[in-house]
Order: sequence, then C-alpha cells, then structure tokens
Amino acid sequence: MSGTLNRREVLSGSVLGVAAAGLGGAALGAAGPDAVAATPAAAAQGSPARAEIVLRVNGRDRLLAIDPRTTLLDALREHMALTGSKKGCDHGQCGACTVHVDGRRVLSCLTLAVAVQGKAVTTIEGLSAGDRLHPMQQAFIAHDAFQCGYCTPGQIMSAVACVHEGHAGSPAEIREYMSGNLCRCAAYPNIVAAIEDARNQMERS
Amino acid sequence: MNYDPQSLLGQATPRVDGVAKVTGAARYAADEVVANPAYAYLVTSAIARGRIAGFRLEQAMAVPGVLDILTHENVGDALKQSPPGPDGKPSTTTLESERIWHDGQIIAVVVADTFEAAREAAHKVEVDYAEERPAGTFGDEGTQTEPAEAPFGPNPEVGDAAGAFAAAPVKVEARYATPTQHHNPLELFSTTCAWEGSKLTVYEPTQFMHGTKARMASQLGLDIQDVRAVSRYVGGAFGSKGVNGRAAWVAIAARRVGRPVKLVATRADGFTTNSYRAETLQHVRLSAERDGRLTSFFHEGWELSSRPSPYCVAGTEQTARMYACPNILTRVNVVHADRNTPGYMRAPAETPYMFALESAMDELSYALGMDPIELRRVNDTQIDPVSGRPFSSRSLMPCFDAAAVRFGWQRRDPQPGSMRDGEWLVGYGCATACYPVFTGPAGARLTLMPDGRAQVAMAGHELGTGAYTAVAITAARLLGIDVDDVTVSMGDSDLPPVIVAGGSSNAASTALATAKVCEEARRRLAAAAVTAADGPLRGLDPDALVLVEGRLRHDGGAEEPIRDALVRVGGRLEVYAEHVPDGLPRGAVAALGDGQLLFQHNGNRSDVTAFAFGAQLVEVRVHRRTREIRVPRVVSAFAAGTIINPMAARSQFMGGAIWGLASALHEATELDHGAARYVNKNLADYMIPVNADVPSVDIIILPEKDERVNALGIKGIGEVGIVGMNAAVANAVFHATGKRLRELPIRAERLL
Ligand code: FES
Ligand code: FES
Repeated sequence: MSGTLNRREVLSGSVLGVAAAGLGGAALGAAGPDAVAATPAAAAQGSPARAEIVLRVNGRDRLLAIDPRTTLLDALREHMALTGSKKGCDHGQCGACTVHVDGRRVLSCLTLAVAVQGKAVTTIEGLSAGDRLHPMQQAFIAHDAFQCGYCTPGQIMSAVACVHEGHAGSPAEIREYMSGNLCRCAAYPNIVAAIEDARNQMERS
Repeated sequence: MNYDPQSLLGQATPRVDGVAKVTGAARYAADEVVANPAYAYLVTSAIARGRIAGFRLEQAMAVPGVLDILTHENVGDALKQSPPGPDGKPSTTTLESERIWHDGQIIAVVVADTFEAAREAAHKVEVDYAEERPAGTFGDEGTQTEPAEAPFGPNPEVGDAAGAFAAAPVKVEARYATPTQHHNPLELFSTTCAWEGSKLTVYEPTQFMHGTKARMASQLGLDIQDVRAVSRYVGGAFGSKGVNGRAAWVAIAARRVGRPVKLVATRADGFTTNSYRAETLQHVRLSAERDGRLTSFFHEGWELSSRPSPYCVAGTEQTARMYACPNILTRVNVVHADRNTPGYMRAPAETPYMFALESAMDELSYALGMDPIELRRVNDTQIDPVSGRPFSSRSLMPCFDAAAVRFGWQRRDPQPGSMRDGEWLVGYGCATACYPVFTGPAGARLTLMPDGRAQVAMAGHELGTGAYTAVAITAARLLGIDVDDVTVSMGDSDLPPVIVAGGSSNAASTALATAKVCEEARRRLAAAAVTAADGPLRGLDPDALVLVEGRLRHDGGAEEPIRDALVRVGGRLEVYAEHVPDGLPRGAVAALGDGQLLFQHNGNRSDVTAFAFGAQLVEVRVHRRTREIRVPRVVSAFAAGTIINPMAARSQFMGGAIWGLASALHEATELDHGAARYVNKNLADYMIPVNADVPSVDIIILPEKDERVNALGIKGIGEVGIVGMNAAVANAVFHATGKRLRELPIRAERLL
C-alpha cells in the first residue's frame, strides 16, 4: 500500500510512549529524555508549540506531545489513530464525536485534550469487551439503526450514556435525549428501537 | 440465467458491515492512516464576484509549523485541467486564476505540520480583492437566463398543449418555488493524498472510484495507472461526493511539501466548495375534462447555476411521463448567477419538479371536486405518454391503495379546514413518488476458495445503501452458500470498475455483475463435473446443474458438495465477468475504468420506460392560533421491482421519507442577496431533522415482479422515498387550513 503505515508504526511517530497504567499528570517527568521539548526556541525555529500530556483512553495511559489547542477529538483521531470517533462539524452541532469522559457523554470536538488529563476517556473502540459487542452495539445491528454508519459511534456512545442517565424511559424521552446526535441518513426510528431494546438488556444485566 | 430473482433475493439480512460500523473499525477516507501527514486548511473567498488583487502572506507564513501556502500566484501550471461540473461541462475554478466566481471559493491552501497551525495560518492570510457587485439568485440584477435542453433527451413535447388548455372545461395554473438545499452528509468532505515516487494514492469519499482516479490523473497530468483511489466507507453522500475543486490541490500540496497531506474541509466550506440542490421556479398549467382526464400539461422550470455551468436537472423529463395526457409541453431554463455550481442531490430532478406537478394535481382535484387519489387513478397509465413505450412495470395505484388502507384515507373529509382535533386543524395529503431506473456497467471478480467460501471484489461504493451486504446476499443466493461465507471487497480503484453509485443504480448494477460472475463460476464447475472421468454428475446436462445448499445439484437429484466440484478445477476458482446493460458498448466497463459515465436510462433505451413508483400520504396538524405545524404520521408505499435486502431497503425508504419531510418543512440554505453569500453554513442553522422531529414513518414495500427492466428485476430505491413528500405535506396543509403554499419550505410564518 503506497504511502501508508499500519497503526503501530504511526503511533510510534506521534505518541512519545505508552506510560504505565496509573501514571498521573504529576508523573510526566517519567517520559524523561524521550519527550519532545516544547520550548519557545523550538517554536521560533518553526515548530508549533507542544504540550506534553497523558491521556487515559480506554483504560490505557498514553503520553502525547501535542499543540495545546488540540481538541480531544483530534488527539484521538490524529495522534492516537483512534478514528472511531468522527468529525461531523467540529463545532458541537452534530454529536458524531461523542465520547465518555468519566462515564459522562462529552463532545470531544468541544473539549481540549489538555483538559481531560487525569480523567478516564472511553471511545467507541473501548466500549466492547474484547470481541463481545456491547448490547447497544448489538441492538444497533439488529435494528438496522444506521446506514452510512458515520454518526453511529457517536450515537452509540450517546445512547449508552442516555440509558445510564435514566433518560431512556420511553420512546419520547429517548428521542428528546438523543436529539444532540444528528443522523443525516435519518435512521432515527430504528435508533430509538435499538436503544429501547438495549436498555432492557442493560437493565437485566 | 434460469432463476427467479424474487425467490432468490428478498430475505431480510443484517448488514455484513454492521460490526465494523458499530465498533468504529469501518475506515472512512479521513480515517486512513498515512505516515507523517501534513495538514491542509482552505482559504476561501470573502466576496462573490471579482478578482484577487493580491495576497499578503507574511503573517500566515510566520505561524510556527507552516510549510506552504498555495495560491494562484505560485502554483504555476501544476494543474493540467480544471475539474468539470457534475455534468462534465465547464464549472467555476479555484486556484487556476485570480478570478472569483462565488463566495466561499477556494483561493488558497495552507499546509502545516499540524491541523492547528494550518487553521491559524489560514485565518492570517490577508487578501486584497477587486470586488464587483454580485447577483445571487432569481430576481437579482445581473443574472442571465438561457433556455436549456433536458439532460437525457429533448424536452418532452406532445400534441398541442396551448390549444387544449384554452379549450378545456377545468384548468389550473400556478407558479411554484423550491429553495437551495445542501446535502450535508454527516461526513465532512476530505481528501488525503500520498505520493510514492510518481504514484499517487488518494483517499477521498467518492461515489465513483474510477471517476476519482481518472479525474486526478487528468487534472495532474499523470498516467492513469499511477493513480489509486481508496474509499472503503463513505459517510453519506446523497450526490455530493464526486468531482470537486479541492482534491487536485491536495495532491499538488503533497508533492510540494514532500509528505502526505490531509485535508478535512470545514462544514462551512462544504457549502461552497461542493455542489448543492439549486433553487427553482416553476410554472404549471394543467387542464382536464370534467371526469378528471387530463387534456393538457405545461411545465416550465427555471434553475439556478453558476456563471460558467449549464448544469440543470430538468425534472420535466419525469413530470411529463407521470400521467396519461395527449398534449404536453415542457421547457427548462438555466439562470446564471455568481454562485458555486449546483449538482446532483438525492432525486435531483424529481424532488423540486414533482413538488410542482403533484401540488398542481391536488389543486386540480379541488377544481374538479374529486378525491386526489381518484384523480391519479383516472389518469394512471401503463404507457409512457411521451415516448409511447410501455412502462416496464408500474404499480402506482397498488401503492396508493395499500397506503390509503394503512393510513385510513377514507376518514378524510374532502372539505378543506373541516377536520379538527381540539386546537389543531387536521389535514390529509398525498402525492405520487417516482424515480427513473438507471443501470450501469460493472465488473466483478469472484474467487471460490477450496473450503467453499467466496470472495467478491469490485470497485463498488458503500454510502450507507448496504452495498457490501447486497452483493454478499446476491452472491450467496446464486452460489448456494451462506451470506456469512461471502466476503466482499469494494472501495478501491484497483478492483474491477463499477458505475457511479448515483441515480439509485447501485443495487441493479452491482447485483447484475455479481449474478454474471456467479453464473460463470457455476458454468465452469458444471462443465468440469459433467466431463469428469468419475463423479455423480458425469455425463449430465451442465445447464441442468445448479448451485444450492453448498452443493452442485442436478434437477434429477444427483449432487456433490461444492468443495468436491472445486477440486476438479484446481481447488480454487477465480472468475471475472462484466455486466453491460443492453444498448451500451461492449467496452463499457473498460470505459468506466477511464472515468467515463455510461448508463442505460429512459433516454437511451428503446424497449420500455422504467420507473420505481410510490405513494406518500401524510397527516399534518396546524395549530389554530400559533400555526405551528406538526406531521404525526407518514405512510409511504413503494414498488421498486426486486428488493435484495428488505431490511436495508426499508431503512432507505424511511430515510428518504424523512428527507422529504425535512425538505417540505425545514431545509433551506438562506442567501444574503446583496453579498450572494449563504448565511446558515452550519448544522445548527441549516435545519436537518433531529430525532425528536421525526414522527411515525410507516413504510410498505409492495412485491413487484418486473421482467423487462433488467434480468434481476431491480429498479433502485435510494431516491424515490423523498420525491412525493414535498407535495404531500403542502397538500395536507391546504387540506387542514385552506391555504395553498406554493413555496418551500412550509413554515409557520407562511401560514399566518
Ligand atoms: S464533531 Fe463534535 S459535535 Fe460535531
Ligand atoms: S447513519 Fe449516516 S449519518 Fe447516521
């Protein structure tokens, strides 16, 4: 494949290293000499300023050197090769970028990566346990709750949170609390059906 | 081919790419990982007409991490050919010159180490303009109008429409208007380009893999063999993902900076750097005898376009064929203004033009004192009134009848304003939906593995239509194996060419090619089995052997497992086949490979006229005081020939109906007339439906066996679902309130 690399090779390019589990922001020095220095001198020479941060994503701590303006969405997509979270607007208007931060649904395009250090980020890639799909993922397939699939990671992350919040009590409530997630393919009725189905399963287990 | 598609296909099947889509593993173009990418950001014009007097780039270049800024002043002749409009004809340009054709035109491309730096620098590019006064749309000073020809044939004309209209006892005449609309697929427009020596890989969401490949080659002056296009999943397209003005610049930028370059255009840039549904004005005259039989139909449209582009959709080609009518006259005009070039958007011709016809039919029903469904029944026909050819099949009235029963149409009191529920005025409305059948050439490669599993490869397109699944189902049924045992590869121009996924042609085109290649595999296995020295099928008629239940079986009962049959052809069988629709040249698939578009359609087939049809019924509620509009119920029935996967088909019909509802009630791109600038270029201000907006949508899929449209009887379903909704809603609003609205979208303020 021309010009492409697998994810591991790319990760080694932009991620400084994978810190040990439990590493907090205070332990950044552990990155030691391998870290890229974000000095003003470097900026003056033509490199953008970089901030070193640790993000805990899907249970793993990752050390990144990124422009401090980088959104959580771009950090995931462009610096960690976690491309499941999607960019549909970059302005908080579509929900395609929805992830969980400490269990709550958050628009990752409106969240700076530096602001979620020390918090637990879960993306669509981290939702299922190994090969076993989360009941919400299973229900989306069973109810054909997507077409192009582009809104789907955001819909599913939002839907799981919607159930946990206790906002999936009725179809009308689901419609209301899922209205921050646009679906241009308009799979909405199937999305509502899938959430009702998954809610029942999530409540049972 | 000796099988009945209706008995083979048509079983509801969950999508084979479902797991990829719900786990985030499905790779859309901007998800493709390339080594050490630089990031591009577009600079777009702040004026709509004039030219660039100069750039001041110092501040932008000083942003740390900036690598390059492409402008017309420094790109030289890197671009060998400007991208054409959607019709292949001239369109607006970008960095080719200092010329500004429209607001939001690409005028510079900033490339930097990071997305953040590119964005900052793009905002620091200063531009001096020599501005001229623009014309934005109809009625603005400076537009130019010219008559146009319909894209697929001469403008329909039969008999003497003017004379018949003058003499008719019952007539209606009205003017209608439809707004600018933007596709807004949820996936942003993106292009990533990576060079390896003289070879280019372009990752871009596209509806035509080989079109993208060929276009990049011609624009960059490359050997077509040196370009590869990759687009495994497309995050919605609706007609928007094809030729564009950005892709070649990304490739040029990547060559200049010596790294792969990735561009993800902003949502706002998507409004001006890609196409859209142009606004229309339409004039209709309909006349009838007192029994409702039409005596004349006149339909003229005006469509907006850019200055250089003659693009138009001319939905009069469809409206003229809807009903039996002896006298028909149609015309279409293109109105040029200082705007970006419009293009195909889901049911491009039908959505605006059927709004006018189906509104006028409703108006005529009141003039006649006739039920609107009965008016359509009186004028239903199995003969295309323009060409005189038969419809390949036409189940319009069965659609109306099925939908009317489900809806409870008989409860409708014909008197406008007569039905109430408390504070709400209740209205029932209906309209015909139609979409012509397009079928294109396609190639397919099939590999049967020694274990009996199959792999099908073709450069098809998954836009959300369920393309992978439809091909897997077709192959599984024709090979007599399970859907789970078929792997489908698409979305790569290294695979056999497939026609553009547009015009609702994808299902028919890919399924016909898949059927062809499966038949070829069967033929080879059968030939080897009957000529074998031993084995249960030796000496039998090879044409009497079928693949079913994992076996090669003779209709007399003899059989052997497909794995045994495969051993005879070397254990593994690879076959390639092409499907070329009747009337197209034999080399059509190779021509696709060169980026040419070749369709079989109603304009070039001489046997039949082929359409999918539907009937759309809605209940509208208008609040007596506030005029708030609600649509609690939609019932739509469709007959579109063979349905490969009813599960995905229902979703597509439903999505189409919701699109149509949004078109009727919400969607419009608003224009600042003085500046010829779109003002709602984001998803908060451009109203697409959210979950809470969507009512109960009831979809009925009528079985329809069409033996004339093509060998599998497939018509296509992606677009017909939207077509009747504009008029159905407007007609229901009239029924509820007595107020006829002839301009879309229908919003409460228009009912005050
Ligand atoms: S990309 Fe975050 S809300 Fe749209
Ligand atoms: S499935 Fe396409 S946007 Fe929701």
